[in-house]
Amino acid sequence: MTDEEATEFSGRIREALRMVIDPELGYNIVDLGLVYDVAVEDGGVVRIAMTTTTRGCPATDYLKSGSRDAAWSVPAVEFVDVALTYDPPWTPDMMTPDAKQHLGIG
Amino acid sequence: MTGVALSRWTMSYFVAALISLIVAECLMVAGFGYPAAPIEAPETLVLVHIVTIGWLSLLMCGALFQFVPVLIARPLYNNTLPLPTLGCLLAGLFALLLSFLQIAGIVPSHPACFVAAAALLAAGFGLTLFNLGRTLWAARPLPLPARFVVVALLSLGATVVLGIIFTLVLGGIATVPHLLNVTALGLPIHVIAGLGGWLTFSAIGVSYRLLAMFMLAPELEGPTTRAAFYCGTGALGVAILGGFAAVCASGNVIMIVSAGGILGLAGIACYGRDVLHLYRARKRRVIELNSRMAGVALGNLVATLVVSIGLLIAGVFGKHVGVVVFLIAFGWLTNLGLAKLYKIVAFLTWLECYGPVLGKTPTPRVQDLVVENRANKWFVLFTVAVWCAAASLMLGAPLPFRLSAGVMLLATVGIIKQLLRTRRLANVQPTLRLPKGVRPPHLLYCWVQPT
Ligand code: HEM
Repeated sequence: MTDEEATEFSGRIREALRMVIDPELGYNIVDLGLVYDVAVEDGGVVRIAMTTTTRGCPATDYLKSGSRDAAWSVPAVEFVDVALTYDPPWTPDMMTPDAKQHLGIG
Repeated sequence: MTGVALSRWTMSYFVAALISLIVAECLMVAGFGYPAAPIEAPETLVLVHIVTIGWLSLLMCGALFQFVPVLIARPLYNNTLPLPTLGCLLAGLFALLLSFLQIAGIVPSHPACFVAAAALLAAGFGLTLFNLGRTLWAARPLPLPARFVVVALLSLGATVVLGIIFTLVLGGIATVPHLLNVTALGLPIHVIAGLGGWLTFSAIGVSYRLLAMFMLAPELEGPTTRAAFYCGTGALGVAILGGFAAVCASGNVIMIVSAGGILGLAGIACYGRDVLHLYRARKRRVIELNSRMAGVALGNLVATLVVSIGLLIAGVFGKHVGVVVFLIAFGWLTNLGLAKLYKIVAFLTWLECYGPVLGKTPTPRVQDLVVENRANKWFVLFTVAVWCAAASLMLGAPLPFRLSAGVMLLATVGIIKQLLRTRRLANVQPTLRLPKGVRPPHLLYCWVQPT
């Protein structure tokens, strides 16, 4: 896979991940900055690194499996690994300006 | 599953708790117990324990089965045990109420009832302590909010032990002089350990985390939070252990308890400062109904303390202790409980219904499960009614008290109707309500769907 192909592929996966919302904030996890990394490898292998707004949040497992399912829905994806990390911990500053405005966050 | 799961029976606790609240309010409207009967009358004991065990303790137990795992990011030790636990607690409460009614001469006397009440409540609260204790033990070293819960659970243990002694003594089963002495003098310790230690301290611990979570404020673990914890724990230690020692040595229980009270005030002042800081440092400008009403509840707690100090200075605290207990139970704990319930029911219902289909289909937000505008008026009405009821108690006006209780009842029914709408997904847009693979939630328990 060339670099451009990889960027385009991970872009499509990020787009698919927008289907997953953080239930509490009511906004998609990509623009909230909860998805730290989407790495694609040869053979349709996708590795997602993500976090949650708070540690121990009861929605954690659902967010993880939701992300896996959303990535799976992208054509040419053969394998998805979702890793949860709290390093660095999420802060509201990681949101896109649109997400911040939508949530009225200053 | 790696993370924290849904607590299966929490919703059953909430339903039982709300039914108890309604029953208690109906009794107040009917003029049963205080203020129509004296504060120490068995009728009042019936009312007090429907509120403290049936409503507040069941609410708190249900909430802790869900939120202790959140506080420590580990699963509950046992997710099945809460059901038999609830059975024991409800049966025990029923037996305890029957025992009080026997003392009042309303039902025929039967000593076995007192024994059953003691045994069943010991089993129910014992199982709660075991399940939550094992969960917390596995997570050492504990974060600060979880340590509040540990102290609260220890206080629950003290409350229940004293309650059992009182019950066995009142039933004529325990006749050891030492236990008679505990019963004669230990009531203030039972009340402080129950309302202050168990219910208030756990509410404080959980609210630190929930307020930060729902308002996007930074988690607090700094010096004021530690001071709140140590002052509060010290206050409870002095009041419960010191009080117990005073009972055994036939010392002055009231003196010891008052010394604890001063430390407790310092602790609550630190907590109040922290909460103000959380509200100010929040990233979310528009805060939700539950956080607003939690603020009102905290205001009520502060007002209660001011009233108490005023009564102490005027030397009439003893005469008006009923008003203080009423304000703590309703102005502080019930207001906070209903506000948090409004959020928790929506959150749990969302997790149950939409968590499993996240990423597969568009899902509503938690906030789409509620319509705050509709609920707001009931919360405001409830708060105002509590103030009126407290003022009526203070002025010794039984009829206005019953009228105010009627308004509290009406507001509670209004809030419960909103909770039912949330649980039935009635507020969710029809196009998003039931996507493929989603089953409508059951009222009484959470169906934990595999992910
Ligand atoms: C769990 C939280 C509890 C709280 C907050 C609580 C609160 C109270 C309060 C405020 C009173 C004084 C009422 C009055 O004088 O009118 C009281 C008395 C009493 N409580 Fe509890 N209680 C709790 C649990 C229990 C339990 C589990 C039992 C029994 C197993 C129990 C048995 C009693 C008895 C027998 C009295 C009357 C004592 C006497 O008059 O000498 N309580 N409680």
